[in-house]
Amino acid sequence: MKEIASWMKETGPHGDIVLGTRCRLARNLAGVPFPGGASRDQLREVMNKVSAVVPKLQKLGGFAFHEMGTMDALERQVLVEEHLVSPSHTENPQHKAVLLSDEANTSIMVNEEDHLRIQVLKPGLQLEQAWQLATEIDDLLEAQLDYAFDLQSGYLTSCPTNAGTALRASLMFHLPALRRVKKVQEVLGTVSKFGLTVRGLYGEGSDIWGNVFQLSNQITLGQSEEETIEHLARFADQILHSERQAREYLLEEDRKLATEDWLYRSYGILRNARTITSQEAMELLSDLKLGVDLGVIPLGDPQCLKQLMVQIRSAHLQRMMGQPLPVQERDRLRASLLRDTLNNKA
Amino acid sequence: MLCDKCGQHAATVKFVQIENDHKTELHLCQSCAQGYTNFSTGFDLQHLLSSMFQAGKLGQKLKQGPAVKTCSTCGRSLLDIQKTGRLGCGDCYQVFSDALNPVLRRLHGSSTHRGKVPARGYPKARVSRQIEDLRRRLQECVRQEQYEQAAKYRDELRLLESQVSGGDSQ
Repeated sequence: MKEIASWMKETGPHGDIVLGTRCRLARNLAGVPFPGGASRDQLREVMNKVSAVVPKLQKLGGFAFHEMGTMDALERQVLVEEHLVSPSHTENPQHKAVLLSDEANTSIMVNEEDHLRIQVLKPGLQLEQAWQLATEIDDLLEAQLDYAFDLQSGYLTSCPTNAGTALRASLMFHLPALRRVKKVQEVLGTVSKFGLTVRGLYGEGSDIWGNVFQLSNQITLGQSEEETIEHLARFADQILHSERQAREYLLEEDRKLATEDWLYRSYGILRNARTITSQEAMELLSDLKLGVDLGVIPLGDPQCLKQLMVQIRSAHLQRMMGQPLPVQERDRLRASLLRDTLNNKA
Repeated sequence: MLCDKCGQHAATVKFVQIENDHKTELHLCQSCAQGYTNFSTGFDLQHLLSSMFQAGKLGQKLKQGPAVKTCSTCGRSLLDIQKTGRLGCGDCYQVFSDALNPVLRRLHGSSTHRGKVPARGYPKARVSRQIEDLRRRLQECVRQEQYEQAAKYRDELRLLESQVSGGDSQ
C-alpha cells in the first residue's frame, strides 16, 4: 500500500478552502441478502464475485484486492484515516474487503453496509471529475455483475436513505475564517433546507476538528446524479465566497495585527511543543494553513501541511514507528514530527 | 483486551450499567473513557428510521402473526425492517413497497428514481434517461443564450431519438 493516498497530499482546484471531493456509489448484487443479513457463505460468495471482476477494472489503472481480515488493526486504521474505508468497515473485518487503486484515490468497499461502495476521492473541488470516474467504474462493474435495481426505486440499498441514485457526493471544506468570525453556524445551518447535510471530518457521528466540515447531499431519489452534483456545486460556490470574504475581513487594517498574532502564536506552539494531542495539533495546523493561505506566514513547502494533517493521526504515527504505541508516547512523537517538519520547511 | 469503542488501545476503564435487570459492560481505553457518557438522545439513524416506518400507521401496532408476510429471498418481515430501519435485500423493495414508498417520500420528497439506469437489462430506459438529461441541458443552454452548445445537444438528441424509435424490450 502507498505511503499516503495521493489525494491527501496534493492541492486541487480551490485547495485553499476545499481539501477534497468524494463521490460514493452504493451498489448491491441481485438476489443476495444485503451484508447485514447475509450468511457467511453468501458474504464469501460476494467477495469471490467481486475479486473475479478486478482484471476488468485494469482499464482504469491498477486495482488490488485486500481482505480486511488479513490486515492488522493498524493497517485498517490507516485506511480509515485516509478516508479509503469507513470506520464501520474495520469492525468484524472477516468477510469484508477493499479494492484499492494504485494511487489510492479510488476504493471499493466490499460487504460494508451494502455489497459494494465505490468511492472516488480527488484533491480540491472536483465534483464533476469525481462523479465521472465513479460512474465509469460503476459501468465496468455493472457489465459483469447483476445489480439489485428497479426502475421505480433505482439502485436498491440496505438503508432507504440511499436508495435511488445511491450517490453521496461530499466536499471537505476548511473554514477557519468563518469560524473565527463566528459565522459557520449561519452559513452551514441553512444547508438542511436545501437537502444537504454537514458532518465532521470522518463522517457520521464524528466531531468537527481543525475547522474541517464535510458537506454532502442528503437526497438520492427524485433527482438525477447530474442534478445532485450541480446543486452541491452551486452551494459550494456560496460557501467559498463567504469564507473568502471572512478571510479578507480578518486582514482589514484594524484587525490585521490581531489576526497575525493569533496565527503566529499557533505556529509558535507547533514549532516548539514537546507533547501534543491529535486534536490540538489539528486545530493549530488549521490556523497555520490559514496563515499560509493568507500570505501571512511564509512556508517553504505549503504542501506539507495537508500531509501533516494525516501524518499526525494515531495510526499513521504508529505505522511510521512500525509498532503500536501508548497514548503519551504518540503525543510526544507527534510533537517531534511537527517540530522537525516545520523547522525544516521554514 | 482492546477498547470496545476504538478497538485500538488496551481497555483500562470498565463501565457497568444496570437497567431493568439488564447488565451492560463496556471496556474502554483511557482516551475514549474521558469523553464517554451513557446519555442517549435516541436521535441516531436507526431510531429515526424505525420511527419513520411506524409513522404511517400512528398508534397502530404491527402484529407478528403466523400469516405475516416475509421476503422469500432474505426471510425478513416488515417488523424486522421496522425494528432495524434497514431492508434485507433488493427484493424487499418490491415485497414491502406499500409500507416503504411513504417512507421514501418522507425521506426524499419523492419515491421515483430519476437517475442512472444500468445498461444491461434496461437499454431502452437508459437511452430515455439520456434523452431527458440532454433536453434539460439544452433548455439550460438556450436560457443562458449559449446557442452553439445548444446546437450540439440538439444534434445528439436527434441521434438518440432516432435510436429509440427502433425500440427494444427489457
